[in-house]
Formats: sequence, structure tokens, C-alpha cells
Amino acid sequence: MSTKEQKERIELLQGTLDLLILRTVMLGPAHGHAIAKAIEFNSADVLQVEQGSLYPALHRLIKRRWISVEEGTSENNRRAKFYRLTAKGRKQLEVETNKWNKLAGAIARILRPA
Amino acid sequence: MRRRKQMMEDLDQDIRDHIERETQDNIERGMSPEEARYAAVRRFGNVTRVKEETREVWSFVWLEQLGQDIHYGLRMLAKSPGFAAVAILTLALGIGANTAIFSLVDAVMLRSLPVEDPSQLVLLKWGARNAPNIHGYMTSGDCPTNLRPGAANPTGCSFSEPMFREIAQVNVFSATAAFANTGRLNLTGNGPATVINGQLVSGEFFHSMGLKAAAGRLFDAADDTPSAAPVAVLNYGYWQSAFGAAPDVVGHRIELNNVPFTIIGVAEQRFTGITPGSDYDVWLPLSDAQRIGDPRDKSRSGDVSNWWLTIVGRLKPGTPIAQAQAAVSGIFRNEMLHGSVPLFHGGEMAGTRGPRHGTPAAGGAVRSQVTYGGGGPMRRPTGNKPVTPPAPQHAAPAGGPHNSEIDSGPQTLSKPDDNPNVTLVQAQTGLTGARSQYSNPLYVLMLAVGIILLIACANVAGLMLARAAARQKEMAVRLALGAGRARVVRQLLTESVMLSVLGGALGILLAYWGAHAIISFVSSNQARPLGFATGVDLRVLGFTVAVSLLTAILFGIAPAFRGARVDLTPALKEGEGSSTSSGHAGGKWFSIGNALVVAQVALAIVVLVGAGLLVRTLQNLRSIDVGFDAHNILIFGIDPTLIGYKGPQMDAFYRDLQGRLSEIPGVKSASYSMVPLLSDGLMVTMFHWPGTPQDQNSEADVLGVGPNFFETLRIPLLAGRGFSASDFKLSASNSGATPTSAPTAVIVNQAFVEKYLGKENPLGKQFGESAAGPDGPASPGYEIIGVVRDAKYNSLRREIHSMMYMPQSFGGASFELRTAADPQAILPAIREAVAKVNTNLPLFDVKTESEQIDRLLFQERLVARLSSFFALLALILACVGLYGLLSYEVSRRTREIGIRMALGAHPGSVLKLVLRQGIVLAIVGAAAGIGVALGVTRYLTSMLYDVHANDPLTMIAVALLLTFVALAACYIPARRAMRVDPLVALRYE
Repeated sequence: MSTKEQKERIELLQGTLDLLILRTVMLGPAHGHAIAKAIEFNSADVLQVEQGSLYPALHRLIKRRWISVEEGTSENNRRAKFYRLTAKGRKQLEVETNKWNKLAGAIARILRPA
Repeated sequence: MRRRKQMMEDLDQDIRDHIERETQDNIERGMSPEEARYAAVRRFGNVTRVKEETREVWSFVWLEQLGQDIHYGLRMLAKSPGFAAVAILTLALGIGANTAIFSLVDAVMLRSLPVEDPSQLVLLKWGARNAPNIHGYMTSGDCPTNLRPGAANPTGCSFSEPMFREIAQVNVFSATAAFANTGRLNLTGNGPATVINGQLVSGEFFHSMGLKAAAGRLFDAADDTPSAAPVAVLNYGYWQSAFGAAPDVVGHRIELNNVPFTIIGVAEQRFTGITPGSDYDVWLPLSDAQRIGDPRDKSRSGDVSNWWLTIVGRLKPGTPIAQAQAAVSGIFRNEMLHGSVPLFHGGEMAGTRGPRHGTPAAGGAVRSQVTYGGGGPMRRPTGNKPVTPPAPQHAAPAGGPHNSEIDSGPQTLSKPDDNPNVTLVQAQTGLTGARSQYSNPLYVLMLAVGIILLIACANVAGLMLARAAARQKEMAVRLALGAGRARVVRQLLTESVMLSVLGGALGILLAYWGAHAIISFVSSNQARPLGFATGVDLRVLGFTVAVSLLTAILFGIAPAFRGARVDLTPALKEGEGSSTSSGHAGGKWFSIGNALVVAQVALAIVVLVGAGLLVRTLQNLRSIDVGFDAHNILIFGIDPTLIGYKGPQMDAFYRDLQGRLSEIPGVKSASYSMVPLLSDGLMVTMFHWPGTPQDQNSEADVLGVGPNFFETLRIPLLAGRGFSASDFKLSASNSGATPTSAPTAVIVNQAFVEKYLGKENPLGKQFGESAAGPDGPASPGYEIIGVVRDAKYNSLRREIHSMMYMPQSFGGASFELRTAADPQAILPAIREAVAKVNTNLPLFDVKTESEQIDRLLFQERLVARLSSFFALLALILACVGLYGLLSYEVSRRTREIGIRMALGAHPGSVLKLVLRQGIVLAIVGAAAGIGVALGVTRYLTSMLYDVHANDPLTMIAVALLLTFVALAACYIPARRAMRVDPLVALRYE
């Protein structure tokens, strides 16, 4: 990885990681590595997640019962833990998404006044 | 719990899988397996920290880590026991001193009244723009009173008995109670006669306080009626000491001032009196006031213009204090503006009873026409017997009517313009009692120990910093192994808290011992036990815990952050992290360590200066010329009026006793006076001085004395003659109901001559005659027959005022015996002599004049002694801090010193190198400290005597003392530096 590449990546805002995880598992249960990859891929590699920091976040979400965890078999037939969105998590995702949109809209308006 | 364990085990597996997958991905992208694995781990981040953070999600981690920290902290402390011992001891001294003084503050200022639900109990205080038009006013010392003649906005908490009866009817209170001191009570019927003190209380008193009896029963309303049989309730402590806690005391008969009383019960143990610091032996119903009291008091129960009762009320549940106040104030105002004042009672109402205060401090600047205070620094109810003014012609009541007002027919107590009103204050804060005279010294001491705690904190912070420097490598290793910085700070703070908690625990022991030592010192100076009980209660414990934690944060925070802010690479590479900076350490004057030492020295200077000023004050007071010879004088009080002596009998009694006492072997001469000199008792009289306007009052101190008074006390007679037997006879008849036309002979002091006569010949001068008027019959006034040297009267601090001595012809007296040797040895002979005159007359307040002065100076001695002790402590702590810093510097710079020596530096110059740092720090600290002291000491001004708050001599002496002690503290590490062996030093590390 070149230093230039690193500079173009944006560190995640506090708390947004939770939102991204919820959004990712909404599409279906996934294991940790897959979630990390999906976030990086879907953001066209702009968002840099220190992969390790995913785990405390996942556990936080489990504790709040926004996602649940289940045993499963991965694509290459290995046992893995899959994280699945709960009903409570789905509601939370809606709330968080709204909040985020409002925030982003507000900031955008400030930065680009009409 | 199980879930958490399961989650953590799964996490390990998850992380392994994750990294493996990432590695696989990388390989697929064409990396070599090794490279792929390395990139995957880097991509993942700090595995340990991820695990830590995840574990924290499953919480209780906090507790778990605390356990680890404590365990680890203990191990670290055990590894350096010297450091731990010094730190804990320092903290124990700091926290202990604070806890000890706080436990006194707690006992005197904060403890709630010893009654049920004290928050509902309110005290009534009156106020007005001008003094009310009253004949008599007496305070029992329960609250601050301001009733000086002519004082604006007078205030107080004594009311008339009719006012109390009226207020008791108001329906805002569920109960009301009134009380007043009894004055001296002569008790017989329980062994030899003794003098005790008591409180008169209304029938509802105990009930309204929610108090219970330890034996028998307490008063009820039926006991407080004029027809009820006289009954008494004992104080628990007095029951134990005087009656041996005999259970059959209930029903026992005693005589108080020759009146038989039946003991009906003992109050519960915690209750010694409602006002802080009060301690009554016995409680009597209000209705018995006349039986035991001065016959002159007979009229006061129905007299609206004689105020003598303190009133408290218990608010009805749900009644706001403002509503109650409006109701009570309305009644008071109505009575003041519309009730009529009875006319003067001729010879019966002889004027104002003196406000009863032990010291002027107790009641603000109260000084009324006649002021009588008890001896000693505590207000002693025994000393509060109302004193009758010497003769009716002095009887212009304090703040009372002027003659012209009296003449103009019936008067109201107050005018509408005066806006008489009552405020209700919480009894807890309103009943100050002895509290107010202790508050100042306590605040000063609290400040001193607060500063000591700061010094202790700075001291330990210095130690911790030195240790943090030594532990840099350890910290670097921890950080390198993945510990978060916050985690390291927490670990270090845990160690600080452990130190301060251990220090606090030891401090409580020190405080317990210290508070006891202070209390026993206090008690040894009191005629009666102190009405304050100290002890370590919950509030004190809470205070100590809070102080300990605060301390830990204060001294721990800087080292902790410094510890966590290690630059990893150099710290790991080098044996000793800080040695990189040691090369230029000599030139780097501003460091935290230096700043801490300067702060300690400065703070110590402040305490030292304060203590120095207080000690100088004590010395100044001790070396005052009191104007008489205070050595080898024995004093005792005796009051024949309590058992019914009257008029001419008194004179004969005193003369008889004086003769017998003079004959005792070892007694050189004997005399008596109304109160002993320097006993805090003071009487002031007002008179008309010829040549001044008719309505202008002049005033002078006055003291009734017996024959030979001046010879016995060795006050030189400068002109004229002493009192003769006929002077006494004349004085006796002039102070009776039918005065003669000849003026009373008086002897005045130099100050009197200077103030009123100037160069005029004082002998034969007559003054103070008055015509008959509503204030009393005509009086012939006084004639000066002699002049004596100035002598101090009631206190050492008070300036000598103009003073007149007159022949004592009535009232209780205090005998003064000049003895050849130890006054205590002849005490039995004295008791025998008194018993021969009357077996029922107890001696009270037996002491020597020097003891008396000691008691007068008690507060000064207590404060001087404690503050000196604390100053010494501050000095030691600051010097230990200085020593610690220099020792650390020397050991840190061993290598540098070795190189210097190897390059040919003289040991002397090495010594100078270290000493210079120490001395510069001490001098900078001392200068800063004196700067602070200059600003702060003015708060001490009210406690000082004859020394300015910014006394240069004290400041210089203190600074010199500190510099010398600091020099000694520097010398030890400096010598160690001088002896550094270059060879050893260079091999070191």
C-alpha cells in the first residue's frame, strides 16, 4: 500500500461503523471478514476499516440485541459465525439512517450554500 | 457470566478465521504466503487491544481490571517499601491533621441539635430600627445579641414571658418552648453544699424537643404552674458524677437556694442542653423562677418590658416557615405598638440585667450598662447570675427610655417607625451559643491543615514523579505490548488511590488520637466539662474518604500522565530513559519536580508565618503589665445571697470571713471583690459628669471591692486614701432603698483622672448626683477619695478604661488571698474557715490568679500551640520534599557527577552544585511564600494582639528558619554527591 493510497482513504466517524454493519447484514447473514470486505468494497475502498475494530462493534450490537449470531458454514465449507439483523436492529437501522441523512444533508447545505 | 466467557472464546476463533481469510485473499492477489500473512495481521490491527475492547463490551471488565490493578499495585508497593512508607506516612499526617480538625469543626459547628427532627425547630429573633422601650433584658447566651445603648438596628432572641404565653397560642406551631439560665444555684441535700447551674424551661420544653427520660419522667405542662410542687430533672452526666447514677434518685429531695425540690427524672444521655456547648446540671420549670431567684425578679413573669426568655417553636407539619413568621411577627408588632408599658417599679426593678456573655466574641459587641460574664473562655451558666447594678441611680436600662420619654405618660414598647419584627430561623443555625467564639480559630486551623495537606500532596507527587521516571522502561514495555495509554494512567492512578487510602486509614488513627489530645487540653482549662463531644462519626468518615480520594487525584494525576507519555524507542533502547536529558538537566530550572518543591516551601512559609504571628500574640499577651501582682493569689467565689443573707448581714459576713481568712498561716492578706480581676467579668456604669449637658451620660468601668483590696493585689495607691469602715457603711445605705445625702466614696484609676479631670485635683471631686425621677429615688452620687494605678479589668486584650472602685456592700463576691507560698496547700484551711462561718456555703471557682489568666488565654494558647505544631509539620514535610528531590537528582546524575569528577572537578564544587539547587529552590519558595503570606495574614488580624499582620520580624525570622532547615536537608544528598566514586559511577548503568 502506498502512502498516497492511504491518504485518499477516510477514517470512519465514531458510531458510523455500527450503522454500516447494520446496513451490511440487512442484505443477509454474513461472517466478520465478509462484513469488513463488503464495507470496503461497497464504498469503493474509500472507507478504511481497521478490520480488528469490527469485532468490538459487532459485540456491542449483539449486546444491544440489534444483531444475533449463529453458527453456519461458509462458502468454502468451513464453519463460521454468521451475524444476522434482528427485528429490533432493523428498526434501529431505519432510525440511524434517517439521522445520518439529516446530518449529511445539513452539512452539505452548510458546505454548499444555495 | 458464562455467556461472556463463551463469547470471548468464540472471539478468538473468529479473529483467527478472519486473519486466515484475509491471508487467503492476499495470496489469491499474488502475494507470497509470508507476505500475505503479514499484510493480513497489519490490516487487522492490534489483536490484544481488539480483544480488550470487546471484553469491555461485556462489561464487568472494569471491576476485573481494578482487581488486577490493586494486585499489581500492592506488588509494586511491596517492592519499594521505603517509598511506600514515606508516602503513606506523609499522607497519613496530612489527612490525619485534616480529619482531627474537621472532627472538631463537626462537633462544634455542624452536628445537628440533639433533639428529634431538628429541621422543624425554629428560633424566634426580634429586630427593630431602635431599641425597644424596656426595663430589663437578659440573654442566656443562646444567640448573638446587639443591644448596646444607642445601637442602630438592635437584635436579640430574648422575649418577655407574656409574649411567650401569647406566641404559644399561635396555631402555626405544634409545640413551643421557652428557656433561660437559672444563674448560680446553691445545692444542698446531696453531701456537702455545691454550686451548680441550671436552666429554667417551660413545661412543653422536653416534649417539644421529642426527648425521653433515662430515668423517671420529664416535665409536662402541669409542672409549669405556680401552684405545682417544685420539681427538677437532672442532666445524665451530672446524675452520674454527683449521684453515682443511683436509680433511686427519682423522688430524692434536694434544696436549691434553700428551696426544696423533688427530683422527678433524668434526661436522656445525648441531651446536655439545646444550645451548642451548653451543659446544664439541672432543669427546673419556668414557674419556679421566682422561688429560686432574686426577689427583684418577682415581677418579671408578668412584665411585658422585661425580656429574658429564649423561645423556640416546632412548626406544624406542612406549615411554611414564612407563614409562621408572618403570624408571629404580627403578634409581636401588635404588642410592641399597642401594648402599654407599666411604669417604673420603684426599688423593685433595678434596671437591666447584664447581657450574659462569656466573652465579647460570643455575642458580638454587646456591652450594656452592666455586663457580667463568667470566667474562662466558655460561657459558663454559673457565671450568668444577673448582677444588680451598684446603686439605683445607675439604672438607666440599656437602650431604654430616656428620662424625658418616661415623663410623657404611658408609653408603648416601640414606635411604628422602629418596625419591630420577628424572624424565624432554624434553631440549628440560630442557636449559636459557644459556637460563635470557636468558629474563628477553627477556620484558621482548618486552613492551616488544608495547606499541610497540599504540602503532603506536593511531596508525594514529587516522590511519584521520581518513581515514574525510574519506571519509564516498565511503562514503555507495557505500551509496546499493547496496553492502552488510558489503561496505564488508570493503573498508575490506582496506585495513588491505594497510597492515599492507606494513608487515610492511618490518618484516622492519628486524628482519633489528635482530637482526643486537643479535647483533653481543652478540658484541662475548663471549670466545667466541654459541652461538645468529638468523635469519628459518619460525616467525619465521609470527609476523610473524600479528602483521601481528592488527595490521590491531586498528587497522582501529573505523574500518571507523565508515566503514560513515554517515548517508546529511546526508553526501550536505553537502560535509563531519562539519562538523555540528564546532560542538560543542570541548566533546566523549570521542571515539575522543582515547581513542586517551591510550592511546598511557599506553603510551609504561609503556615509558619501564621503560627509565628499567633505565638507572638500569645507572648505579647503574657508579658502585658496587668497593673497588679498576679503571683501567689488564690481566688474563690462565695455567694451568701443564695442562702438568704441580706443588707447589713452581708457586710458583717464578709468582714468576719475576711478576718478569719487573714489569720490562716501562710495567708499574707485577704480581700474580696464583686468579680476577680481578669476573669472576663465586667461591669460598666453610667453617670452624669458635672459640666456636661444634662441628658448626656458618661461611663466608666466599675468594680465593688472589699477593704484592703489594693494592698492585697498590690495595686499602688497614688493619691488620697483607701476605703474606711464608714465608707462601707455609707455605700451600703446609699445602695439600699433610702439613700443618704452623702456621696459614696470611690477610688478611681489614672485613666479616669486623665479622661475626666486632666490637671484638676481629683481628690474631693463629686459627680453623678441625680434627682429623684422615674428611674429611681434621688441619689447623692460619688466622691473621689483616692487614685490608684491603672490595672487590667476583665481581659488582657481590652484597653484599660476609666474605672472606679467602690466599697462592695451587696451581692456575691470573690475572695482574693495573697499567700506566702503555693496557694493550693492552704485550701483545706480556707474551707475550714468558711465552714466556721456557715456550713451551707460552698466555695466555687477555686483557682489561682495565674490559672485564671491561663484560662483567659486559653483560646490563644490552644491556637498558638496547634498552629505551631502544624507549622512544624509543614516545615518537616517541605524539607523532606526538598531532600527527596535532591536525593533523586543526585542519584540520577551520578554518572554526570562521576564524569565531572573524573575530569578534575573538585568535590567542593560538586557539593556547591547540589547545594545551589536546593538553596535556590528554598529561597524562591520562601519569597513566594512571604508574598502569599502578606496577602493572607490580614484575615488573622482579629486574633492578633500588639503585632501587625504583616510583621516584618516574624516574616524574616520564619524565612531564616526555613532556609537553615532547608540547608540541612540539602546537605545530606550534597555530601553523597561529593563522595561519588568516578570509577563506580562510570561503570554504573
